[in-house]
Amino acid sequence: MERNDVQTREWDIGTDIGGTFTDIIAVRSGSDETRIAKVPSRADAPVQAMMEALTAVGLGPDDVRRFVHGTTRITNALVEERLPRVALVATAGFEDVLEIARYRRQELYRLDIPPKAPPLVPPSLCFGVVERLDHTGAVLTPLVDSEIERLVAWLRANAVQSVAICLLHSYANPAHEKRLAERLAGIVPHVCVSHEINPEAREYERASSTAFNAAAMPIAVEYLSELEEKLPIGAGLQVFHSAGAMVPVPAVKRRPLVMAMSGPAAGVSASARIARDLSRPRVLTFDMGGTTTDVCLIVDGAAEMTDTRMMGGRPLRQPMLAVHSIGAGGGSIVALGPGGLTVGPKSAGAVPGPACYGRGGTLPTITDANAILGYLDPEALLGDTIRIDVAAARAAVQPIADRLGLGLTETALGIVKVANATMARALRRVTVERGVDGRDCTLLAFGGGGPMHATGLADIYGLREIIVPAASSAFSALGCLTADFSFLQQRTVRMGLNGLSREIFAARVAELVAEARDPLIANGIPAAEITVEHVALMRYAAQSDSIPIGFAMPLDPVLLEADFHARHRQLFGYATSEDCVIEALRVKATKPSVTPFSRPDVGRPQVAGRSRACIFGPEGPVETRILPRETVCGITTGPAIIEDAWSTVVVPPGWQARPDELGNLFITRSAP
Amino acid sequence: MSPLDPFVVEVIRHGLSAAAEEMSLVMTRSARSPLLREAGDLSSAITDAEGGLVGQGRDIPIHLGAMAYTVKELLKVRPASGMKEGDAIIYNVGALGGNHLNDVKIARPVFVEGRLIAFALSLAHWPDVGGTWPGSYLADAFDTFQEAMRIPPLTIADTNGLNRSVLDLILANVRDPVSCEGDLLAQLAATTAAERRIREMCAQYGTETFLATMGRLHDLSEAEMRAALADLPDGIYEGEDFLDDGGPGGAPARIHVRIEIRGDEATFDLSGSADRVANFCNTTPFIARSAVVYAARIMSGRDMQQNAGALRPVTIITRPGSIFEPGWNAAVAAGNHETSMRVVDAVFRAMEATIPERLSAGGPATAGLLAFAEPMPDQSWRMLYEVHGGGEGARHDRDGCPATRVHLTNTSNTPAEMIEANYAIRVEKQAIRRGSGGNGLHRGGDGVVRAYRVLAPSLWLTTCVERSVLPTYGLKGGGEGKPFAITLERDGQVTRLSGKANLLLKAGDLVTLEGCGGGGYGVAGG
Repeated sequence: MERNDVQTREWDIGTDIGGTFTDIIAVRSGSDETRIAKVPSRADAPVQAMMEALTAVGLGPDDVRRFVHGTTRITNALVEERLPRVALVATAGFEDVLEIARYRRQELYRLDIPPKAPPLVPPSLCFGVVERLDHTGAVLTPLVDSEIERLVAWLRANAVQSVAICLLHSYANPAHEKRLAERLAGIVPHVCVSHEINPEAREYERASSTAFNAAAMPIAVEYLSELEEKLPIGAGLQVFHSAGAMVPVPAVKRRPLVMAMSGPAAGVSASARIARDLSRPRVLTFDMGGTTTDVCLIVDGAAEMTDTRMMGGRPLRQPMLAVHSIGAGGGSIVALGPGGLTVGPKSAGAVPGPACYGRGGTLPTITDANAILGYLDPEALLGDTIRIDVAAARAAVQPIADRLGLGLTETALGIVKVANATMARALRRVTVERGVDGRDCTLLAFGGGGPMHATGLADIYGLREIIVPAASSAFSALGCLTADFSFLQQRTVRMGLNGLSREIFAARVAELVAEARDPLIANGIPAAEITVEHVALMRYAAQSDSIPIGFAMPLDPVLLEADFHARHRQLFGYATSEDCVIEALRVKATKPSVTPFSRPDVGRPQVAGRSRACIFGPEGPVETRILPRETVCGITTGPAIIEDAWSTVVVPPGWQARPDELGNLFITRSAP
Repeated sequence: MSPLDPFVVEVIRHGLSAAAEEMSLVMTRSARSPLLREAGDLSSAITDAEGGLVGQGRDIPIHLGAMAYTVKELLKVRPASGMKEGDAIIYNVGALGGNHLNDVKIARPVFVEGRLIAFALSLAHWPDVGGTWPGSYLADAFDTFQEAMRIPPLTIADTNGLNRSVLDLILANVRDPVSCEGDLLAQLAATTAAERRIREMCAQYGTETFLATMGRLHDLSEAEMRAALADLPDGIYEGEDFLDDGGPGGAPARIHVRIEIRGDEATFDLSGSADRVANFCNTTPFIARSAVVYAARIMSGRDMQQNAGALRPVTIITRPGSIFEPGWNAAVAAGNHETSMRVVDAVFRAMEATIPERLSAGGPATAGLLAFAEPMPDQSWRMLYEVHGGGEGARHDRDGCPATRVHLTNTSNTPAEMIEANYAIRVEKQAIRRGSGGNGLHRGGDGVVRAYRVLAPSLWLTTCVERSVLPTYGLKGGGEGKPFAITLERDGQVTRLSGKANLLLKAGDLVTLEGCGGGGYGVAGG
């Protein structure tokens, strides 16, 4: 029976759940058969939406061997604050850590909005435990049993679903946190401790991250359990984590925080793969969806990482893809404010959506400007339901044109230009932080709007090459099927390079390696197939921000120091002879993917030989060829619109497109 | 010249802000002093070739307002004709659009094809610039020479790189030369980053378009400010507020504003304010203007672009001999962030009856500074600047927020775990000061409490806190918040410390700061 069951389960599924649509791609193992579909997303019932997507490709749960997805379930819950009751346990005297935060306000000149977000845990659910460590981990005040029992009694009186424990300096010595966690097991359904979630210094950021994790645990367990029930395929059920690779579901139940950036991770991971396959040393990903645009820098085939990001005005600290998200996508609303024209962050969302979707939207959006310019096919159906209504788009943009005293098409061109400037700023953000000149990068454009805006963005930013990958419209879903397995651990160590004990250093690295590998081994991945990367986060002794520097074991401290100086010079233009410190260690355990990344044959019949009037600049409408993507071969000189099932590639005059044998499109400026 | 494309203007405006934000990012990521890297006491701006502000980071409003004058005044003594590509000029004197000596500026002229087109300006609060007391804040300084080293405009770098003689002179006069050098290099790196971005924009859109756009941005801001002023009812509005001390016999010192709004222009006359005071609360006319510009922006109720054009319809009058024009040798360390805040409060009091819904009640309008200096075995000093917020004043539609910064300052606290790892201090408590906010229809936010145990044999402490005598005010009948209170517990005895003091601490001392609560709004239950 069981054998038979395994044999019928022969489909590998990748899904990408966006704010507007859910994309799904299904590949039959041992064959080229690929199925692909797009269905409306359902924020209220994400698991149900995934099952509907499965139905849309003609499959049921019994057909599935592997199911991989990136999810925004956790992110949305944390940002939208529909959170369970969480308690915070802190060192006595520091209970208010979340409410005090770092003082700083977000907006300098706005008194009408509160200066900072309210604490994730209300003051009535914060509890102080008498105990104290110093920064070396030495015990100043021991944690006594009566104190633990006082906490137990308080928790029993305050029914909470989840508790976050964050004691001062626990990154240096977790003993007190461990004792509390052991005692609380079974008393509170979910317990999480800061030395596991984020073993790094700075109490507010650690407490905030731990509280986030505690709040996410009940949600994650419910969501993942529902998924496991619907798809009982054990380790075949996988999810993207924030560092850009897959993990089996059981490994993240206790650490749902690692799913905080799960949504955009699959697209970035697939991009890194393409950057390696096509040997592009510097790649900027440009994933423009309906409500947000995500950009990330990929250097030498690896996506850049960051340590902290703000979610709903609160810091979340853990190693994550350095994806910069801006609240500007196709559905972003265009407004004329005192400073000029602005796009976003308000979005028309999936409902009512842009005016041209004909679902009752009347406010002008970026997509409406694109519709006016002729880029969108007025005959095609989007997600099987939406037909583009150009007249509605024109009606929505007209009031802005009137106020500016400009023509409608001039205004639409202007809207696209401002939208591109907003996105160029996001590109700059991810490149300058890494000391990379963005103009040397290749722009990898995907998502619904990426291939439409890519050339305009390249013009503003001075980029020379754009790649629209094969299956760009389902790119993130495809990325799910081809990604590596990996797990990551990072810890504050604060070791001076001067006089470093190699034995102690090696011991700390070994601990981290075990912590990063165990979740993979526990899910059936053979240890021999796991590779390990080590990164030291380094700074000059007097600095506080650290720079990641890779190293090999056994450590060569001279090489590490030289690499640090060189990187600091590259980033900031200078290096000094001051002492260096290894602030933290990061270890990544990876089982590399062996799944080939190739073009899925998902073409729908497209009508050849069409054309329509499109507008690219002040010279006005130009009759433009409309080419089905699979018919494009050789060099296509702009103006041209290249369409596949769900996405539109705009090749304006002065640009040209050329496909490779895998179906990737290379877009460059035409020779003058 | 052809008319400017309004969308290109928008694109360049984004680019200028992004360049300034990048400067601040380079600073916080590569600076040495915790005051810069943890608390973020720094600002970045781009000006046009005449020194008019056109782009700014999301930094500290009091800095940004004064930086509108920092290059303008520099050009009066160092004409542009003498500047060359690659130059970077360092200075901190008050007369050159300055505020206080700790805030050291580096201005880099940006040339394109040999033509000066802009300046990149970096301001950083150096934790020590020499002078009588470590940290360079001397509460009862009778002149600025006691405060700190005065740096006239010096060329710190040119095309040949760093000017070692200038650097050595500066490092020889500060108490932590190693950190200072790293901070200075970070400032230079920040201005270089902005230079690169400005040149890119010129290459892309054309230098003429770039220059015309900067002019257009001034015009747009002027139009916005005029529209905002025209929306306010014409008339004369007067308001006053008081510094805790500094007046005759240590009495509170008066800050008075007379605002005349006529059509789309406004005059802010601060002449009725106190004479030069006998402590470090004097300030410069640039700081008075910076505070007025902030207050005018709040009065407008609009999210305006801030640049030099916004200043055109606003006239600001200060009186020679007053606290705002005390003469070039006056002590000014605290006036930067204390006296300036009183200007904002005086304006708020003046406008309370007319536009209360745009204002907030009194809040922690002070630096809330405790500066600890620790002498090290190698005779250098380690500086910890602790800056504290308090409860925000309530508004017409909501309670004040607890533990935050308001108005002209926006620096962060330093995490207890960072303090304990870097200084001989143990933080024994950090908590919300419950019940410190004022009553009202909407309550003022609560302040904070932080307690510091001294572990070193000795520490040199500076306090610089306003609202420790006079409490934060309520608006429209709201109650006052509790004032700041700083105490020293030594050998079992608790004494109250002045909000403006320099004193020596010894091992075992416990210094506790209780930050003010915000004022309430409206009558409770009303």
